[in-house]
Amino acid sequence: MASSVVKSIISTVREKGLGGFFRYLKDEGYRRCLPDGNLLQTKIHNIGATLVGVDKYGNKYYEKTENTQYGRHRWVEYAEKTRYNASQVPAEWHGWLHFITDHTGDELLLLRPKRYGLDHKENLSGEGDEFIYHSKGHALNPGQRNWTRYQPWESTTKP
Amino acid sequence: MGLGLLASKAMRPTASRLLNFQNPNNLLLRTIVSKPELRKPEPAAAQPEAPLVDLSPRTPVGGARVHFSNPEDAIEVFVDGFPVKIPKGFSVLQACEVAGVDIPRFCYHSRLSIAGNCRMCLVEVEKSPKPVASCAMPALPGMKIKTDTPVAKKAREGVMEFLLMNHPLDCPICDQGGECDLQDQSMAFGSDRGRFTDMKRSVVDKNLGPLVKTVMTRCIQCTRCVRFASEVAGVQDLGMLGRGSGEEIGTYVEKLMTSELSGNVIDICPVGALTSKPFAFKARNWELKGTETIDVTDAVGSNIRIDSRGPEVLRIVPRLNEDINEEWISDKTRFCYDGLKRQRLNDPMIRGPDGRFKPVNWGDALAVVAEAAHQVKPEEIVGISGKLSDAESMIVLKDFLNRMGSNNVWGEGISENTNADLRSGYIMNTSIAGLEKADAFLLVGTQPRVEAAMVNARIRKTVTSNHAKVGYVGPATDFNYDHQHLGTGPQTLVEIAEGRHPFSKIISNAKHPVIIVGAGIFERKDQDAIFAAIETIAKQGNVVRSDWNGLNVLLLHAAQAAALDLGLVPQSEKSLESAKFVYLMGADDTNIDKIPKDAFVVYQGHHGDKSVYRADVILPAAAFSEKEGTYENTEGCTQQTWPAVPTVGDSRDDWKIIRALSEVAGVRLPYDTIGGVRSRLRNVAPNLAQMDEREPAALPSSLRPTFTQKVDPTPFGVAVENFYMTDAITRASKIMAQCSAMLLKK
Repeated sequence: MASSVVKSIISTVREKGLGGFFRYLKDEGYRRCLPDGNLLQTKIHNIGATLVGVDKYGNKYYEKTENTQYGRHRWVEYAEKTRYNASQVPAEWHGWLHFITDHTGDELLLLRPKRYGLDHKENLSGEGDEFIYHSKGHALNPGQRNWTRYQPWESTTKP
Repeated sequence: MGLGLLASKAMRPTASRLLNFQNPNNLLLRTIVSKPELRKPEPAAAQPEAPLVDLSPRTPVGGARVHFSNPEDAIEVFVDGFPVKIPKGFSVLQACEVAGVDIPRFCYHSRLSIAGNCRMCLVEVEKSPKPVASCAMPALPGMKIKTDTPVAKKAREGVMEFLLMNHPLDCPICDQGGECDLQDQSMAFGSDRGRFTDMKRSVVDKNLGPLVKTVMTRCIQCTRCVRFASEVAGVQDLGMLGRGSGEEIGTYVEKLMTSELSGNVIDICPVGALTSKPFAFKARNWELKGTETIDVTDAVGSNIRIDSRGPEVLRIVPRLNEDINEEWISDKTRFCYDGLKRQRLNDPMIRGPDGRFKPVNWGDALAVVAEAAHQVKPEEIVGISGKLSDAESMIVLKDFLNRMGSNNVWGEGISENTNADLRSGYIMNTSIAGLEKADAFLLVGTQPRVEAAMVNARIRKTVTSNHAKVGYVGPATDFNYDHQHLGTGPQTLVEIAEGRHPFSKIISNAKHPVIIVGAGIFERKDQDAIFAAIETIAKQGNVVRSDWNGLNVLLLHAAQAAALDLGLVPQSEKSLESAKFVYLMGADDTNIDKIPKDAFVVYQGHHGDKSVYRADVILPAAAFSEKEGTYENTEGCTQQTWPAVPTVGDSRDDWKIIRALSEVAGVRLPYDTIGGVRSRLRNVAPNLAQMDEREPAALPSSLRPTFTQKVDPTPFGVAVENFYMTDAITRASKIMAQCSAMLLKK
């Protein structure tokens, strides 16, 4: 296994040059592996696994059936390397990832109703007021309904 | 009729006895007439006589008390075996009410004549071959009335079935739903199924104007509205057309209902045939919060209930007060409420150097006003309270200006030489209910139909029942009762006073003569001479006696009586022309052109009406539906409004604004609760502290010094130009604008 890793590194360096190789390491999040153990563990886990699909946000879905404990054989590597969380998985991949179904997200996406199927939105709680969802009666919803039951006098009108 | 009462009636022992007799074969398939008793209703005489219930006397319906004018006239009847003493002339229905039995009824209304055409009030009377209509049958001594027998039950069920036969099943979309007599009574007395399978009849809706919505298919021909229009409102607009199943209520020719009391037909209609047009489909009656308060659109102070949902006033309905408005209110009172939602002042505003208003906070606005008030001489400060001001705010305004060193504070509609010293000189001494005893009226410069519609309804009631003579001095106007137009100017009064006019004989022959003087006369320069002439007439006609005071003034605005009680009378006419600081507290009918150009004007009020355009600072205040305020009506009865809805925006109660201003201005007033203001009121005018009580004037007005100035021959003016738009609230109302466009005679 170690030899195959070394082989792939050498082939990448040959392909992209040394500068390109370091840029590739940065983009794929290998530099974040140093402070982030979760990411490092995912990267190690990825070795030898099959890439089942990539959703439109760039999240990669892996599966490895051999030599893996059942229930840990499907996982996701988030496209976002620094601020990732489970709400970034879209609905169509959720079922596959959580062993609800064996259909991959790409298959389920074909079933999405065209007229009212909405795009997935991740949960932005804690990311600032402008990202948070407010119901239409909420004071912070910009399209809030006007519940004023009287009409104020306008000072510009003249008798 | 309360549903609880109906339910308790249904649970009486007689009813349960009937249920036990029920044939078990009919349990599954119950037809309309199922019980053996009902199939062959025998007269109740055959049944055991002794009532099975305890014979403790029951309380009359609604806790009413019976007044025996002559104890010898009392007769005794038996209602369901209970002996009841009633005065002679009572109907069977009234006797049952005294006995505590509420008879179902549709056409009967205690204030209207008896029609007897709905047949819902059928009861059994012993030795009578048929059930009798109790509303039209006079009670006779010893009569044995049975309200709970199979005969009566069958009669009610039959009547109800016929009424529902042609009644549409549209309760879910009917505005009367939830407060409908037919709905309630069909629950209590109706059958649980109908046998009618044909087409229901339908009737074309009538256009009765912008206030009353008609769905004539729902009408059950009780003719209450027809009787109301001809007997109380005094307009012959409505009538019954056709016969049999073609019978319908309508105006004979296509025309609108032109009465100032037309809204009351909405209340008396027992079904949803006549409903309120502005309230249509707005709310259900069980969603509403009722607040019992009083009306301020005229000086009568009609008792009303404001029905609101959340921050919105949705309708106004009358409340029973026999002394003031009976159970009617005028259309202005009933439909002015949409004015409370338009043109509201909701933020304190200051006029900037560019002439535009800018919203500011209260602290800044009060600081600007206080600084401006201190920059002028005390005698240049003037305060005017408006038509709708409550007594609390008026006394606080007066106290504040007095502490600033000025005494130039007065109420609208009160002029320099108005006599505020003798209370009998400006209130209705006879009292509104007392007018019913009168047998001759002299109306001087007043058009009661537009100035105070409820007082006019009393006069009409007196004229129709006592055949009282009415003489009228003033500009030509329309009355809804017989009257003699004596003249247009004060010259006629002088003629009557000197005995040269035939009407002076009518007054002196009358037992209970009444003179009503319009408050529009307060604006005249020669009012003292006119009052002197009137007092001469009163003296000759013996109008003011120890047992009868028939000399009245009919005031125009809700605030006027309290303002006069508190002495809000201008010191001199010129003080407004020389004012440098003018405080207008809801004063919209003051001539703002008289205010000098360099004067600083503060407007405190709830509507952006007329005076707001002259103001430099606007302080938003609460309207009558949003505050607790004391008002005195034209007969001297002190009443109180209660807040029904919250204030709008940043507005505050009137007295609180002036109290806060006094502190900013450095002349802190000594009270800071409404209780404190009221104890101050009690010191100035003790009668204003006695809520819901009429305080008669102590001294007769003859103590007034005699005056010998010549009267001015100019005819009397019209005090109220447009009945529907008299103050800031009604002028802001869209419904009132519609009414004045469609209903006023041009």
